[in-house]
Amino acid sequence: MGTSLRALRALVLLAGFYLIAVLMLGVLVAADVAATLWAPGLAMVKVYFCSVVLAVPVLRGVFVFSTARAKEPDGLPVTEAGQPELWRTVRSLAERTGTRAPDAIVLTGDVNAGVTEDTRLLGLLPGPRRLYLGAPLLTGLTEAQLHAVIAHELAHYGNTDTRLAGIALRGRAGVLRTVETFREREEERIAKERAVQEKAAEEAVRKGRKPKKIDADRAGAGHRLMVKPFLAYAAFYLRATHSTGRQQELAADRLAARVAGRDATASALRETAALDAAHDFYMSRYATAGVDIGLLPPRGEVFGGLHRLLTAPGRQESLAGLRDELPPAEPSPYDTHPPVAVRVELIEALPDDGRTLDGRALDGRTLGDARPSLGFALGSALGLLRDRERVMADLEGAVLTPKARAMTRVDWPELIHRSVHARTEEAAEPLRTALGATGARATGAGALADLSVLLDLADAGRLWEVADHLPKSPEAARAGGRAAREFARPALYAGLRELTELALAESAGARWELSWSGPARLLLPDGTAVDEAVADAVRPAVADVPDTAPLRELVLPLLPDPVLPGPVSDRNPA
Amino acid sequence: MILSIIVIAVSAFLWFRRKRRSALSAAQLAAEGWLPPERQNTDRSFADHEAIALVAALGRGDWQPAAQALEAAGTDWDRRSALVGIIADEAAKDDAWLRAWEAARPGDPGAAVVKAKAKVIVAWEVRGSGWAKDTTAEQAMGFLRVLQEAREDFARAASLAAPGDPTPFVSQIALRKGLSASHEEMRELWAEITARAPHHYEAHSNALSYWYPRWLGSEELALEFAWTAARTAPPGNLMTLLPLQYWYDHLDDDAPEVAYRSVDLTTMVNAALIDVAACRPDHPRLAGARHMLAYLLMRQERHAEAVEQFRLVDGWVGARPWSDYTKSAEFYCHCRDLAIAGARAASGRR
Repeated sequence: MGTSLRALRALVLLAGFYLIAVLMLGVLVAADVAATLWAPGLAMVKVYFCSVVLAVPVLRGVFVFSTARAKEPDGLPVTEAGQPELWRTVRSLAERTGTRAPDAIVLTGDVNAGVTEDTRLLGLLPGPRRLYLGAPLLTGLTEAQLHAVIAHELAHYGNTDTRLAGIALRGRAGVLRTVETFREREEERIAKERAVQEKAAEEAVRKGRKPKKIDADRAGAGHRLMVKPFLAYAAFYLRATHSTGRQQELAADRLAARVAGRDATASALRETAALDAAHDFYMSRYATAGVDIGLLPPRGEVFGGLHRLLTAPGRQESLAGLRDELPPAEPSPYDTHPPVAVRVELIEALPDDGRTLDGRALDGRTLGDARPSLGFALGSALGLLRDRERVMADLEGAVLTPKARAMTRVDWPELIHRSVHARTEEAAEPLRTALGATGARATGAGALADLSVLLDLADAGRLWEVADHLPKSPEAARAGGRAAREFARPALYAGLRELTELALAESAGARWELSWSGPARLLLPDGTAVDEAVADAVRPAVADVPDTAPLRELVLPLLPDPVLPGPVSDRNPA
Repeated sequence: MILSIIVIAVSAFLWFRRKRRSALSAAQLAAEGWLPPERQNTDRSFADHEAIALVAALGRGDWQPAAQALEAAGTDWDRRSALVGIIADEAAKDDAWLRAWEAARPGDPGAAVVKAKAKVIVAWEVRGSGWAKDTTAEQAMGFLRVLQEAREDFARAASLAAPGDPTPFVSQIALRKGLSASHEEMRELWAEITARAPHHYEAHSNALSYWYPRWLGSEELALEFAWTAARTAPPGNLMTLLPLQYWYDHLDDDAPEVAYRSVDLTTMVNAALIDVAACRPDHPRLAGARHMLAYLLMRQERHAEAVEQFRLVDGWVGARPWSDYTKSAEFYCHCRDLAIAGARAASGRR
């Protein structure tokens, strides 16, 4: 099928969306007319009422479709005056891609790039264009890789091959947004209904009655009935235009490869997949590690700290693994992108264009614009940004919630120490509560005192009594005898380990040391790491025949004031 | 409306009458020496007084009778692994006496294999018997952790065992199954076992379940394994029970009445009857074979033959298929009484 034929088909398909709405409204109106003619008064009012209620979602479907706009991602717009290198790069790439340059460039905090265009008249007329660039992409990609990503996005604006097929893409985006809006509304509805039913169930339980089974799926049945034709049509539409969507992605990839070089484009896709995982890891383990206790890294480091992880020697192997092992295909039928693995394969199958990984031709002629090198350690695309630190700080202002912005800023080592300390404290809490439940714990006792009590109990063969008070899964609660012990052992082991670490932190001045290459390690003031020693000493203490001597030996000499008694022979079980 | 009530009433009446006519009175059964459900022992498959005594002693923390029983079994490997299973079941509940045993006799091969086997039982208790999808992450992780520990215990037990003793290897089959061992690993283990005991029943029965499609094999592999053993072993080794075990585990649940009278199953049952008749009377798995045969003969409506088997095992019902049911003694008696009534009706007709 030719491009214009495909575009025409897309237009017809798009029109079908409205046709469905008209048909459905027509049916409702016909019902009303019939009721006016033949039904008695009360029934007539009923039919009127029903048809109005049912018409609402239909009208909304039409309305939503014509007004549906992608939610604008939060971000920091950068001006041409402020970031001339970045703008020059984008303009030059737009020129080579054969499309109009965007009107705005917005930096975001996620591993993503995208373009939007505020089109008018159902997507038939062009409008202002915006390019979104995730700061992590700038951090993690080389300049040539970033070129490939930007070129791919710009290609969506108007691939010279697929300019007319753009209608299909716009239609797709519109349909997707409509489906998304419907789904969000329905989820809201179901959530609301569930909340109501849960409250009722709670009430019932309080009054000692058996609660009714919560079934929120029945909520909004009428709404779903009316929305169903739209969703069915959307599924049909997406299937019908799926190949178009996929082809446009692949065409954009091909154009990107032509502009930025084959190898750079393929490696950009691999790198982005790896970066996605690395960024998630960085966010959860480092940047937001302290949010539970109201701590954030220094200003600019929330997004700016990623490069520390990416350049850490201990992470290189797993990053390389992520690049080689592309994520499996997305199962969602709504995904417009072909699986990354397929895209990479297709790009890598293109003929060699004689350009190296950094996008340069072998004869040394640069393809990128001649800009003064700002010199960044990684060869990272961050080199395109001026005032990196200020930009990263401003990005936090634009992206973080007010609550997050109000958090205390501390440097990385302090952040990691305090957040791991807090987490360890939280993790040790169940064991201390269990100890309290046996009545052997002095209230408000420190970790060291609790540890001492636990070791005495272990020597007396009573550790499993404490374990019995630990929180249990239903399966663990059902188990008896040795199986019950095996259920409890991991929690007991972990709890005792955490308690020992806490005791060392509280009483021997040990600190958790930040590492970009691996998890934080517990260091004594003299610099020796004790994590493994603690683990090795705790293991025999929770064995079937407990041996607390190694743990006592480990902890005793480290404490300024040895209060832990040694193992006393007459305390051993007879 | 009224019509339907009449229909229901009449059919209920007829059903009751038929039931009363065919049912045997409790007194009648008792007079003939059949035991009621409450007097059926659901722990053992036959009157194994040695096992009963040693379990009672273990309950008191006395491990000596257990150790003596293992010594007395000598090179009767079927008996030895049956005893190890019985002792390990107790050790999986509480192992204080096991530690005492090991302390008193360091390096005792019996204690070592009991310890390893008990750990596998504990691991399976942690896991539960559900399908993998119904097993929680906590259960699955605990299962694997304890099995890994058991590995070391088995290595120790194997190094302590007498050269011809297959027990530490036989007990490892459940471990390999749990750790999803490869076919190659399983065949290596199998070679260790058959080199020491070529027709070990428990080994064959457990290995067969490893080859089940739901574990690590397939229908083809399982059937090949079962039939090879059934065809090649001399009668008296109970290997003909293996195809029946496969049949029962895969086809009994949904079997229509006619399936029980199929030529295939009839042939398998007949072969097993010959095998059982040739078996030495003190084989620890003989009673188990009779229980399975009694059930299948009853389902085949070979009531008189079923009653013969029931007669030899009555009172001890800790065996499959009964143990697969929550009210195993009741189910046993129900099936037994059907067979008795059926046999009586047949002889009456004659």
